[in-house]
Amino acid sequence: MEQIIANGLYLGAQYALIALGLTLIFSLMNVLNFAHGQMYVFGGFITYSVVSQLGMPFIVGLIASAVTLAAMGALIERFLFRTVIRRSAREESTMLLAAGIAFFLDAVILLLFGEKQRGVPKIVNGVFNWDFRLIMPYDRILIGVLAVAMIVCFILFMQYSKAGRAMRALAQDRTAAQLMGVDVDRYSMIGFALGAMLAGLVGALLVTITGINLGMGGPTSVKAFMMIMIGGAGVISGAIAGGFILGMMESVGLSVLSSFGDITYLVIFASLMVFLAIRPQGLMGKPWG
Amino acid sequence: MLRRTFLRTTTLAAFATLALSAAHAENPTLKIGFVGVTSGPAAAWGISNQRSMETRAAWLNELGGVKIGDTTYDIEIVPFDDQKDPKRAIAGMEKMAQEGIHYVVGPNVDDGAAAVRPVAEQNGIIYFPYAFPKSLYTPPASNAILGMVANYQSGPAIYKYLMDDKGVKTVAFVAANESDPLSQRDSGVEAAKALGLDVVSDTVTYQVDTTDFTPVLLPVIQKQPDLLVLSGVSPANAPQLIRSARELGFQGLISTETAQDATVLQEGAGDLANGFISVGGASTPELASDEMKEFVDRYTKMFGEYNDESNTKVYALEYILETLKADPAAIDDVEEFKKTVDTFSAPNPFMKGDAKLSYVGTTSFGQKRQVAVPLVVNEYKDGKFETLFVAEVD
Amino acid sequence: MPSTNQTPLVEAGAASAPIRESAVSPRRLLGVLAFLIVVFVVVPVFIAATGRWDFYYTLTSVALLSIGAAGVWLTFYIGRINIGQGAYALIGGYVSAILITKAGLSFWLTLPLAGVFCAFVAVVIGLPILRLRGVYFAMVTLVLTEVARLTALALPVTNGAKGITSIPMPGAVSIFGIPLIPDFSTLANSKLAFYLLAATLMVLTYLVLWRIVHSRLGHLCRSLQQNEELAASIGVNIAWLRVLTYAISSFFGGIAGAMFVAIAQSIYPSSFVVQDSVNFMLYCFLGGLGYVFGPLLGTFLLYFGWDLLSAAREFQLLIYSGSMIALMLVLPNGVLSLFDRKGGSR
Repeated sequence: MEQIIANGLYLGAQYALIALGLTLIFSLMNVLNFAHGQMYVFGGFITYSVVSQLGMPFIVGLIASAVTLAAMGALIERFLFRTVIRRSAREESTMLLAAGIAFFLDAVILLLFGEKQRGVPKIVNGVFNWDFRLIMPYDRILIGVLAVAMIVCFILFMQYSKAGRAMRALAQDRTAAQLMGVDVDRYSMIGFALGAMLAGLVGALLVTITGINLGMGGPTSVKAFMMIMIGGAGVISGAIAGGFILGMMESVGLSVLSSFGDITYLVIFASLMVFLAIRPQGLMGKPWG
Repeated sequence: MLRRTFLRTTTLAAFATLALSAAHAENPTLKIGFVGVTSGPAAAWGISNQRSMETRAAWLNELGGVKIGDTTYDIEIVPFDDQKDPKRAIAGMEKMAQEGIHYVVGPNVDDGAAAVRPVAEQNGIIYFPYAFPKSLYTPPASNAILGMVANYQSGPAIYKYLMDDKGVKTVAFVAANESDPLSQRDSGVEAAKALGLDVVSDTVTYQVDTTDFTPVLLPVIQKQPDLLVLSGVSPANAPQLIRSARELGFQGLISTETAQDATVLQEGAGDLANGFISVGGASTPELASDEMKEFVDRYTKMFGEYNDESNTKVYALEYILETLKADPAAIDDVEEFKKTVDTFSAPNPFMKGDAKLSYVGTTSFGQKRQVAVPLVVNEYKDGKFETLFVAEVD
Repeated sequence: MPSTNQTPLVEAGAASAPIRESAVSPRRLLGVLAFLIVVFVVVPVFIAATGRWDFYYTLTSVALLSIGAAGVWLTFYIGRINIGQGAYALIGGYVSAILITKAGLSFWLTLPLAGVFCAFVAVVIGLPILRLRGVYFAMVTLVLTEVARLTALALPVTNGAKGITSIPMPGAVSIFGIPLIPDFSTLANSKLAFYLLAATLMVLTYLVLWRIVHSRLGHLCRSLQQNEELAASIGVNIAWLRVLTYAISSFFGGIAGAMFVAIAQSIYPSSFVVQDSVNFMLYCFLGGLGYVFGPLLGTFLLYFGWDLLSAAREFQLLIYSGSMIALMLVLPNGVLSLFDRKGGSR
C-alpha cells in the first residue's frame, strides 16, 4: 500500500510538471500545444548531449535544456503562433500549426540525436528500502523532490512576480488585461517561453531515470492533455491536481487491476471519459473552456 | 504554393538520387526494396534495418557489384517509410511494385505485414517481414519469408536452457499492450507451460509510453518469479523495465526474445542490466567473422554509430542476393525463387566456422519460409554482449 | 456562465463561413461535372498512359480518408473539434471484418452495416460527451481513439492482438441474374475496381455533405456553431441536432474503415490509431474549415504530399512538416481560402 502511494506521488509530481507548461500556454493563448511532448523530448536530449557526450555535470545540462527550450518557445510564439493567430479566422487553426511543429521537431530530433533510446548515468546511487514495504531509489526521490520544488517555484512566480501577475491577468481576460496596460504580445511570448522551458526541464529531469527517445513526444502530449482535462484546462491548480490524480490512478489501477491485465488502461481511460461526461469542465476549470 | 514547394523538393530529391546512382553507372542496378518504419516511436527498428541494407549494398557496390548469372549488378536500396501504419505499408508495397522490384525487406510489425500480403501476392513480390504471425508463412500464403527467428522458436530454447542450467521453475511475463508484444507473450506463455514451467503472472501489460515502470512491475515482482520475461520489448523500454525490476529488489533472471542494443542498455540501466538475456545476431567476438566485423566498421563509418539490433537484420539482403546468384532466373520471377528456396544453401559470411545460409521453417510453417539465422542467445555484461549459447531453428 | 463569455472561436467561425445559400448555379454544376470527369475519366486514362499503377492505391486512400475527414468536418461545423474519427474507422473496420468472417455476410452488406453500427455507437457515446465543448470535447474524442484500440485488444470477438486476417475480397453482386458488380478476386485489376468504388463513395459522401450544409439542417448547424444558447432559446433542439450530426459524421468514419479493411484484407487493433484521428483533423484544417470541399483537398495534399516526398528519404518528415508550417503561415484559413480572396466575393 505504501509503495502504491509512493509510486503514485512520484508519477504525479512528474506528470504535474509536464501539465503545468501545457496549461500555461493554453490559458494565455488558447493554443493546445501538440508539440509539448516533443519539447519535452528535446529537453531530454539536450541534457543527454551535455552530460553524456560533453561530460559536464548534470546541473549544466538542466540549465542548458531550460535555456534552449525557453528560447525555442519564444521564437515559436513570436514568429509562428502570433502570425497565425492574428490571421486565422477560427482559433482552432493553431492546432494544425502546433501539429506541424510537433512533426517538425520529431524530424529535427531524429536527424540531430538519432533513433536510439538514450539515458544518462544515475545521478545518485542506492535504493531507499523500508523493510520491503516501501522501496524507492534515491535518484527517484531526488527527482520527485526537485519536481515538487519546481512546481512551488512556478506557483510563487505566478503569484508574486510582475510577469506572473500579468500572465494571470492575460489568462483571465485578454482584452481587459490589454486595456489595463499589459503588454499582451510581450507576456504571451514570455508565457510561451516559460511553458516550453517547463517541458524542457521535465525532459532534463527524467532523462536521468527513464531516459529519452524520439517516440516519447506524441504520447507524452496526449497524456498531458488528459491531465489538464481532469483538472480543468487553463487552470494552474487544475493541472497540478490532474497530474497527481492521473499518477495515482495509474499506480492504484495497475496494482488493483493487475490480474485483469489487458484492460487496466481501458478502465483508466473509460473512467476518464465518464468523469468528463459528468463534469464537463474538469475539476476546477472554467466551464466551456 | 504547397504544390510548388512539393514540386521543387521532389525535383531536388530526384536529382540527388540520380546523381548518387550516376556515380557508378557502369553496371545495371538491381533494386531491392525496404518498407518499414523509419520515423516516429518505433523508428529504431526500421532505421537499423534500412541502414544495414544500405551499408551492405554500398560495400558490395564498392567491390564491383554482385554477379548474378552473366550480369554484374549494382545494388540499390529503395526505402519507404510506412510510419508503422498498415495503410501506408500497402502504399509502400505498391510503390515497390511500380518500381519493378520483386524483393522487399519488411514491414517491421504484424499489422503491416498482414496488410501488404494482397499487394505482394498480386504483384509477384517476395517480402521478408520481421513479424511473427504464422498465417503469413503457412500455406496458402507463399510470398512472405520470415527474416529472423520467431519468438515461439527462440522462447522454448531459452526457457529450456534456463531450466536446465539455472534451475528456473517459475516464470512471469510482462508485455506492452500492443499487438506484436501481446501475441509474443501469448505464445511465450504457451511454450513455458509446455515445458512444465509454472507461469505465476501473465496478465500485466503496460503502455509503450510509460515513463515509470515501478507501478507496472510491482504486482509481478511480488509473485517472486525465478524468471521475468519481457515479451516483445522494444529497445527503448527494456532498460527502464530492467532498472525498475532490479530497484524493486528483484533477484531472478530477466530475459527477452527480441534483439537489443548494448549501448542503450548501458546508458539506461548501467550495471543493473548485467545478466539480462536477449537474442542477438553474430556480433559477439566468439562468433563474428572478419566480414561481420568489417560490416560493423562500415556501418559505424557511414552512420556514426552502430546499432546492435542490426546484427539480426543484416541477413535478409544477403539471402536475397545469394538466392538470386543460385538461380539467376529468379531475378524477375518469384516462382523460380520459391522453387530455389527448397534446395538453396550457401556459406554464411557473417559467422565463424562453416555455418550455412539456407531456408527453414518446415516445423513451424509446413514449408520453407524462414531464413536460417543462427539463434544466438546473449547475456549482457558490463556494456557488452556475451554468448550464452547458439542454437539452430528448423 | 452567461453566454457573453463564449470562446472567440465560435464567433470567429461564423464570420468565416462563406457558404452561400445560392441555388445550384450553372457555373457550380460545371465545376462538379469537371470534377467527376477528372475522377472517373482523366485519372484512369492518365494512369494507363503513364503506367503509374501505384497511384491507384494512393488515390484510393485519399478518397477513403477524405470520407472520414468529411465526417470530422461536419462536427467542426457544429463547433466541435473531433479528434476521434480513428475510433469509428476502427469500429467500422471490425464490424465489417467480423460480419464477413464470422457471419459470412457479403462485403456489400457489411459496408452500410458498419456505418450504421458506428452511427449507433456515436449516438450512445455522443449523448453524454457532446455536452462538452472546445478542447474538452477534443480531448475526450482523442481518448476515445485509444479506448477503441484497447477494446479491440481486449474483446474476444475481435481476436485480440492477433487481429483478423485473410478476409476475402468483395464478392459479386447481381440482381435478378444481372451481374452488377463482379467478384473482386476474379478481376485482373482489383486496384482499378477499388479505386472506382472508393471514388464513388467519396463523391456520394461529399454530395450528402453538400446537401446537408445547404439544407435546413445545415442552417441549424451554423446557428449551433455560432451560439448554442441562443440557438436553444429560439427553439432549436440542440441536443438532438448535435447527436444527429455526430452520428452522420461517425457513419462516414465507419464506411471509410470498412473499405480499408476490404483492401488490406486484414485488420488489427492498431489499424487506426491516435495518429489517424489527428490526421483526419489536420486534413480539415489544411483544406479549410469554411469550405465543404476543404477536407477533400486537405487529404489530397497531405497524403499525396507524403508519398511524393518519400524520394527525400531521411528528410521526408522535415520537408513535409516544414511545408505544413509554411502553408499555415501563408494561408491560416486553409488552402481553399486562396480562391476566396481572389474572387473577393464574400
